[in-house]
Amino acid sequence: MRALLAIAATLWAAPHAAAQQMLPPPYQGVYQPQGVDEIGLWREDDEAEKELAASPLVIRDEALTAYVKHVLCETVGDDRCNSVRVYIIREPTFNASMSPNGTMRVLSGLFLRVRNEAELGAVLGHEFGHFESRHTLQAFRSRRTGSDVLAWGALLAGMAPGYRTMRTYQDLQLSVYGSLFRHSRDQEREADRLGVAYLNRSALRPQAAGDMWQHVMAEAESSASVRGLKKPNFNAIAFTASHPPNGERAAYLTELAASDGDARDDGAARYREALATWMPVFLDDQIKLNDFGASDYLIQNLAQNGWTDTLWLARGNLYRTRGTQRDFIAAAQFYQNALALNPALGEAYRGLGLSLIKTARRTEGQAALKHYLQLSPDASDAAMIRLMLPEENSQ
Amino acid sequence: MKHILRALALAMCVTLFAAAPASGQERSATKQGFELAPKSGKKILVFRPSVQVGSQSTGGMFEPNGEWTDSAKRNLQVALEKLQTKLGNEIVVAPEAYGEDAQKLAEHMALFAAVSDAVIEYQFFRGNRLPTKKRDNKEDVFDWSLGAGVADLPGAKDADYGLFLYNRDAYGSTGRKVLQVLAMLGPGIPVKSGEHQGYAGLVDLKTGDILWLNADAAMGGDVREAEGADKRAAQLLEDFPGSDLGQ
Amino acid sequence: MTHRMFRTLTGAVAAMALLATPALAHRLRTAKEAATVAGSDMSVTPDRDWNRLSMAPGKHAETWTLDGEQLNDVTFYGGIAPDEPLVRERSKKRDPLPKFLQSTLLVEIPELLEGTYRTQKNIASFELLSTEPTNFLGNKGVRFTYRYTDDDALTRNGEARAAIVGGKLYMITFDAPRLYYFDKSIEPARALMTSATLPGGGAH
Repeated sequence: MRALLAIAATLWAAPHAAAQQMLPPPYQGVYQPQGVDEIGLWREDDEAEKELAASPLVIRDEALTAYVKHVLCETVGDDRCNSVRVYIIREPTFNASMSPNGTMRVLSGLFLRVRNEAELGAVLGHEFGHFESRHTLQAFRSRRTGSDVLAWGALLAGMAPGYRTMRTYQDLQLSVYGSLFRHSRDQEREADRLGVAYLNRSALRPQAAGDMWQHVMAEAESSASVRGLKKPNFNAIAFTASHPPNGERAAYLTELAASDGDARDDGAARYREALATWMPVFLDDQIKLNDFGASDYLIQNLAQNGWTDTLWLARGNLYRTRGTQRDFIAAAQFYQNALALNPALGEAYRGLGLSLIKTARRTEGQAALKHYLQLSPDASDAAMIRLMLPEENSQ
Repeated sequence: MKHILRALALAMCVTLFAAAPASGQERSATKQGFELAPKSGKKILVFRPSVQVGSQSTGGMFEPNGEWTDSAKRNLQVALEKLQTKLGNEIVVAPEAYGEDAQKLAEHMALFAAVSDAVIEYQFFRGNRLPTKKRDNKEDVFDWSLGAGVADLPGAKDADYGLFLYNRDAYGSTGRKVLQVLAMLGPGIPVKSGEHQGYAGLVDLKTGDILWLNADAAMGGDVREAEGADKRAAQLLEDFPGSDLGQ
Repeated sequence: MTHRMFRTLTGAVAAMALLATPALAHRLRTAKEAATVAGSDMSVTPDRDWNRLSMAPGKHAETWTLDGEQLNDVTFYGGIAPDEPLVRERSKKRDPLPKFLQSTLLVEIPELLEGTYRTQKNIASFELLSTEPTNFLGNKGVRFTYRYTDDDALTRNGEARAAIVGGKLYMITFDAPRLYYFDKSIEPARALMTSATLPGGGAH
């Protein structure tokens, strides 16, 4: 371990000056698989893509998919991104992957972890880096020779005969979620390096890669501390599982970023606009996972570009659901903040009303619920809410 | 909610069953009153036999092999023809499905797997039978269905029965299993497999009723020899109605 | 991805521990015979024979099925006390489930079930379709419907009824694949729900 760190230190200390100019290598052009292993891997991948395309979990929104593809192209360049097929999967975890045949899978949880196009581009570029370097094939080969036994332990355990649980998981993961191979540390470094190199050459701000990394660590720490755990489970985040040590990584990502790129636009406004319809949905998916620390961190992180009605509403729901008395008072305030920005946000009136009723402010609460029904007369729970109003309450 | 527990229960069934293969555990069943004579003029639709072939390393990793896959594709037609003659009735391969059709098919495949799981777990496995299924067994009732939605699956209009072949392998590919089954009946492509669960079911394409099911959760073993492969294939399609495979 | 994998592993280990205790057989619940459920005083009378699974999802929960819980699953929650989760937690610390609270309102029960499913299964595709008032156990209750896509790639529909009686939550849920099985089994499931009684429950 210590030896590894030492090697890492020399590896990353040496090219310090050169790092500033880090640019991607010339693109090799359209690639065709070679050799038995690779051709086989592609075949299998084509099959997996077919299954993926038929999955109920794929979000079939052309605009969103096109936007992600666009950010990928902005990052890695049109020549590179052309052949990529992007699939967005409704899954509330932070991950993306790219498989050998050019299928990019983006899990919807990713959209809450990035705040702008540059950060999104950093993740997509990192994954594309694995693809361009054909790490999956290398991982596959090293896996076969058993040189990476530890890293593959979990995966092999999943294939132990008889454990249907794991098999089911594997089915989903490998066909729908795709071959989310665990890469080796060196491969992660290489992908990191390529990811930043793409950004350096792009019109986006390359420092975003380091920023995003820090946020991911902070989210895990927040999640753990609210749950009263001593240590965050970094293994729970795909991007940190087998990745270079945290401190090292944050440092070298920042170091590799072209310093003159710091002033570039990071595309925060465009990102927010493109995600406008989906952000409430993805936020809802997150706050209902009962992970208060992570959810609250994510909301506040997204709010660094300014609070929106959607963010306040999500935060109100988050606090109301945790449900301490303090939470209800905080939640009521958050809902009011949301309504200050968007007085037509019916759902905020609902949350406000319920929170007020729970803090013994029944009359005000009922007034809020009345607003909710006026704004959303066809809400799925309208009949239930109506029962909570004074007129209908006197049966 | 209970899927994990259920999965474990099924795993237990499988393990116990695998340990004692002679315990009288059922593997296949036929709906009461269903008969399919050889050369009945009925058409049997086989769903999407996609192709993947590879080998199994000692570590248990599936290694896809492109050249094998190519040769397998060439051989598929031959294998199908052989299968057809052995199954006793006309076999039609379902057309490739796209878009909504593909989604519909995928969901039915998933349902077929869930139903097969339930049959193994709660009707076939002696130690874990549901009381109502125990009674069914006594009365020789085998009453399971995928529902009439199967009538809208691509290709269903042109056939009487659908043959669902499903497998859970480490790489989540249904295609590989199908190929194995077909290939083993055919020219003996060297398919190695560490797979364990293989389900084959004949479904009425109008009602969705399962007419015959071979849901064998213990097809395991290391089938590295052509001989073993033949045995496996025979296992999966043994007692296929109207066929002479079981004999 | 690893997150999901580790959760599953933890679950598997927990389930193994459960299975290590001698397995009890599933029990027949005979038509027209009242039966108490989920270790509570809640009682239901089936309109046909059901099977009670030996493995319960929680301390105050019990599952009945016709063909296997993957195809039709009726789960009874019999008196969930404040600060309790609906079902057994995989890990209280690492994967806590949402809790029924003293402050939980009837209209929030659907959200509680939704949060429990989402957290337990780590899924995102869960949709509440309707929430309406109803009478349940002789009390003001809530009837709601929902849909979600599970980790076995099947989309399931659900329908549930719940009431809070004496500060405790009583609920019956029905879950089945939207393909065929939901429609096939919803009527017998509803018969269970409407037959449910709780001694002293209808005091309002």
